Amino acid sequence: MTPANWQRVRDLFERVLEEQPADLDAWLAREAGDSPDVRDEVRSLVDHHSRAGRFLMEAPAERFASLLDDEPLAAGHVIGPYTIVRELGRGGMGRVYLATDSRLGRSVALKAVAPRLTGDPANRERLRREARAAAGLSHPGICTVYALEEYEGDLFIAAEYVDGQTLRQELLSAPRPAPAEILRTARDVAAALASAHARGIVHRDLKPENVMRTGDGRVKILDFGLARADAPDDDPRAIRVTQAGMMVGTPGYMAPEQLSGERGDARADVFAYGVLIYELACGAHPFASSTALGVAARILHSDATPIDALCPALPAPLAAVVDRCLRKSPAERFGSAAEIATALAENRPSPDRAAVDWWRAHQGIIIALYFLASLFAWMIKEGAGSLAVAVFGVVGVAATIGGILRGHLLFTEQVNARGLVAERRRMERATLLVDAVIAVALVVDSALLSTRRPLEAVLIASLGVGIVLAKLVLERSTSAAAFDR
Amino acid sequence: MGSGHDPSHDADELAKAVYQELHRVAASYMRRERQGQTLQATALVHEAYLRLAESDPVWTDRQHFVGIAARSMRQILVERARARGAQKRWGGMNRVTLSETLVGAAHEDAMLPALDEALSRLEQIDPEQARLVELRYFVGYTNEETADALGLSPATVKRRWALARAWLFRELSGAAAG
Repeated sequence: MTPANWQRVRDLFERVLEEQPADLDAWLAREAGDSPDVRDEVRSLVDHHSRAGRFLMEAPAERFASLLDDEPLAAGHVIGPYTIVRELGRGGMGRVYLATDSRLGRSVALKAVAPRLTGDPANRERLRREARAAAGLSHPGICTVYALEEYEGDLFIAAEYVDGQTLRQELLSAPRPAPAEILRTARDVAAALASAHARGIVHRDLKPENVMRTGDGRVKILDFGLARADAPDDDPRAIRVTQAGMMVGTPGYMAPEQLSGERGDARADVFAYGVLIYELACGAHPFASSTALGVAARILHSDATPIDALCPALPAPLAAVVDRCLRKSPAERFGSAAEIATALAENRPSPDRAAVDWWRAHQGIIIALYFLASLFAWMIKEGAGSLAVAVFGVVGVAATIGGILRGHLLFTEQVNARGLVAERRRMERATLLVDAVIAVALVVDSALLSTRRPLEAVLIASLGVGIVLAKLVLERSTSAAAFDR
Repeated sequence: MGSGHDPSHDADELAKAVYQELHRVAASYMRRERQGQTLQATALVHEAYLRLAESDPVWTDRQHFVGIAARSMRQILVERARARGAQKRWGGMNRVTLSETLVGAAHEDAMLPALDEALSRLEQIDPEQARLVELRYFVGYTNEETADALGLSPATVKRRWALARAWLFRELSGAAAG
């Protein structure tokens, strides 16, 4: 049918509906006498219109749930050697059941891969390959894949049954864990992830739902290499639209490059790891937005809410690690989880932020006291003998050196926290010496002043004693609290 | 942050609008669903979003977006139906059941792949008709919403929808005869 004819058919059909001619044939003969094609087509369409009933009148709403869903297996259902006990949950690939393996009498997590993922032979082959690769992973922090089973055309993955809570459940229920606890979890997850990255296996869907904590407090990553097995790997930019039935839980853990349609490598896991640890530490998503799509937009376009603003108690090195994981450009992130593990190990022990603030305040106050001591010594030397002049000289020089040393420590703490331990050790004896010299000098000044102005003499002596005590008692505890935990 | 114009703001706003639109679309699917199905609506929204992000991350305006979203909905539902062996069931129906099925709007998931193919043929004759079916049927828009999305009057949409239904009905019931 030519476009012009179709246009006529359309117009005539619409007019028939409006005018409702009593004798359709006569009406058509009058309106389209010149073209039998158009006449026949309009008559046929009007005829079918009158018989179409409820055809297409309801959007596929009622079918929708059943289309997305696969029917669950009932308890007691037997698949090969496995007997279904109960459903554990639903993931991106299908339902997961607790089942008993009759051969070994052990409990397994049996994942029934949704038929929509296994229909295509290429997809099926990829699933097999990914399951094989995942089965090669052996790490206490990774849920072990036992077997890939095929029964009556359906694919099943049997994996270690992990009894515990997912980090998502923990996030929802438990109070925020202590910084030391977060650090421990961060190290454990990084170590497990690193062992997979070392074998070239990328998770691609790391999120709190996919990390379990067992009863004894250890973490286990689930669904390795499988969660996104439905993404094609031969063509990194292949549009997933061509893949039948892709379902992803939430874009909130996808790296910017994944959201842009790339497959993503280990550095995408690094990004997801950053989001996960951030969430664990702060109880909030780094790219929080009122809608999931807003989250995706923020991941793509805007910076994370600074972690120290939300969670100031978090150890600085861990905050720095998370910060680097969340960079937009994969090249700026850690290259793999192994690098994260190294970074977290190097920073042991990690400083406590509040204690570090106390330590900084302590250093600042001591520098101020040095200045005060110099000022007093200068005032005392006025109208006094040459000894007082010499004392002023000693206090002035010692205070200058002490001020520089402590200023250096403050600076090091700011720009090179890692080097601070060594620097503090190096400066320890020098600052002690400086403080002792100033204290002795102040005591000498106090003695010179004692006859003329006994009250001031006592104050100056106590300033000296105070500086030494601060060095021997206070600085030890502020340093220990800040750095030696 | 802090500056008067944050470039991420626009993207955020667009994303928010798009997400709300998607959710509305999904909600129209879920209207008759039993409670506790919102998870699936959300999953569909995410899936549609990811397809959108992959196919064309720059949406010029809401109408453009709705068009692409409708296309995504069609693809998702048809693919699902295919994966569940819809063609086999469709092919197994005899002519009498088929007519009743079509008229009674039952077993529509079995029909979806065939409908999709018929719709592709209709698209070659009249692309606008195909857009209209995607919005009116696959998205579940009302005549008014469809009219808004296509820039037509509701009355025109109503007439064109009748035409599309008649055309597709003939196509589908005819296909079973052969």
